[in-house]
Amino acid sequence: MLTKLSRRQVLAGTVAGSALALASLSPAFAQVDSIVVTSYGGIWEIAIRDLFVADYEARTGGTAEIQIGGPPQWMSQIEASIDNPPIDVLVNTIDLALVAGRTGLVEKIEPSKLTNLKNIPDRFVESVQGWGVIFDYGAAGIAYHRERVANPPSSIKAMIEGALAGEYVLSLPSISYAPTPQMLIWSLADALGGSVDNVDPAFEALKQLQEANAVIFYGGATEFLNHLESGEAELGIYWDGRTWAHYSTGAEWIGFINPDEGAVMNPVVVQKVVNSPDTAWEYINSVLAPGPQLKFAEMVQYGVTNSEVVYPDWLKERITPWEETRWPPFEEIGAAIPVWVDRWNREIGA
Amino acid sequence: MGFSFMIPSLLLLVAFFIVPLVFVGEMSFREGRLPPPGGGLWQNYERLFFDSFYLGVIGETMLLSVVVTLICILVGYPVAYFMVRHAGGKLYNLIIFLLIAPLLTPIIMRTFGWQVLLARRGLVNEWLQSLDLISKPLALLNSPVAVVLGLVHVLAPFMILSIASVLAGIDRRLEESARMLGAGKGMSFLKITLPLSMDGLGTGAILVFMLANGSFVTLLLLGGGSLQTLPLLIYQQFNTTRDLPFAAAMSNALLLIAFICLFFQLRLIRRKGV
Repeated sequence: MLTKLSRRQVLAGTVAGSALALASLSPAFAQVDSIVVTSYGGIWEIAIRDLFVADYEARTGGTAEIQIGGPPQWMSQIEASIDNPPIDVLVNTIDLALVAGRTGLVEKIEPSKLTNLKNIPDRFVESVQGWGVIFDYGAAGIAYHRERVANPPSSIKAMIEGALAGEYVLSLPSISYAPTPQMLIWSLADALGGSVDNVDPAFEALKQLQEANAVIFYGGATEFLNHLESGEAELGIYWDGRTWAHYSTGAEWIGFINPDEGAVMNPVVVQKVVNSPDTAWEYINSVLAPGPQLKFAEMVQYGVTNSEVVYPDWLKERITPWEETRWPPFEEIGAAIPVWVDRWNREIGA
Repeated sequence: MGFSFMIPSLLLLVAFFIVPLVFVGEMSFREGRLPPPGGGLWQNYERLFFDSFYLGVIGETMLLSVVVTLICILVGYPVAYFMVRHAGGKLYNLIIFLLIAPLLTPIIMRTFGWQVLLARRGLVNEWLQSLDLISKPLALLNSPVAVVLGLVHVLAPFMILSIASVLAGIDRRLEESARMLGAGKGMSFLKITLPLSMDGLGTGAILVFMLANGSFVTLLLLGGGSLQTLPLLIYQQFNTTRDLPFAAAMSNALLLIAFICLFFQLRLIRRKGV
């Protein structure tokens, strides 16, 4: 039997249907034994899904949903609904991880609930002041075009001097790229005789490079590779893992150097969000487990932090040992970022 | 009764425009990470409107949008005119296809295309060098010229389609009457065709201006810091500085400026008698 619907019923149905559809998309409506974890896009998502989430689900019988994005967005989402957070486990940069700790978005690590923590060197917890654990890291060194740069510089200082002498054009991260304060401003200042309290040498070097038309800036990680491939630049400051991942795709023209000063450490932190269920600790345990960590390192070609992990030879050559990296003063840099960004905008450009 | 049909749209508008706007408005009055001396409720707006650097950024944002709009008019009008007046059925369809096809590819792909063309070892520099017009590569990328080229490429179809749809509706007999009364081709275009097509031109100008005003990806990929606009700085405040109150103030300022420009553009078009 057919029933004729009134306009009012159709409208009410539309509104109710829309509300239901929206509600079903909300993590707040996920099953109780399901947690929401975070990941960057691309190969990261694949690695997190196939390794950490798979390990967690196999061990606990629970499920974990992955939310793709970046730390600023995730932190805003948690801030907006702190009593019933839409995210349970946060992947974060270290400067924002410290902010998340100070502003009450995440919990302190509980060693009794993290069995795999015993194999993580203390520095990877202390650097985050206990507001999470570093499980993975990249190192920012010198990446270059092997066919166009016969004698690549061995240090950051030599790299700047070579560019100013007109030997090559540099591709450096712009201020729109989130890790720039650590990987470029502090790194340059440190290499050229400055410090976190005196970044004048970094800004002076950047201005000289601009005046000599010896630098271009990239706003996203892929853009650096385009700069080298298209011939817009010959070398620059870039990540070891991304360089080798690109090399593995057949781009054998790209090379990476850990500069004499040391590549800049860029840790990735995993944090448990406040008011998230205890099963979130179990997921963090999976993230810290040696088996999934080794496979993760093989996929993304970045270093991992469990001391039980033994890299195969091909990977060992590519990963910068964390002991050979420079650790920026993350907390001081975090506090200085607004001033540095403002200065960059006025002196260098957006 | 008709009003009830608008309820779903109004609900969407309230949920996804008005409510977020209220949140952004409230956020803009919180303390920023680099407050001006004295602080206060309006501190983020003070920083924005009383600092010559940020006023320069606002000016650059507006100037870029105006330049892109004017170039789109200059490039788009002849194309639209040719399409409507001279292209036959198949050619007309081909032009429409060529205009719409690029819109089907992501803006980021089209912008990367410009990177490849304008690079130091790119196609343009190679041609210029092979023709002995230049001895060493020009710095074409990471310049305002590259940004304007990229934006015109992305936005010109909006202008052309807006003008073409209005041109197609103009009664050709009006132009013929003008010609019969002694007006030359140029005079008949200036006195009849152009005024009657102002509606399409205005629509196209508003669309292009607004889209250029909020454009971000093209500036980030082709500008290389050579241009500083509000959308770039908003992204920076969110992504690098995490100064959300200041980003919110900039966002509101951008919206307000867009409304003001829209108001004046509409007045200008109406004054032209359309």
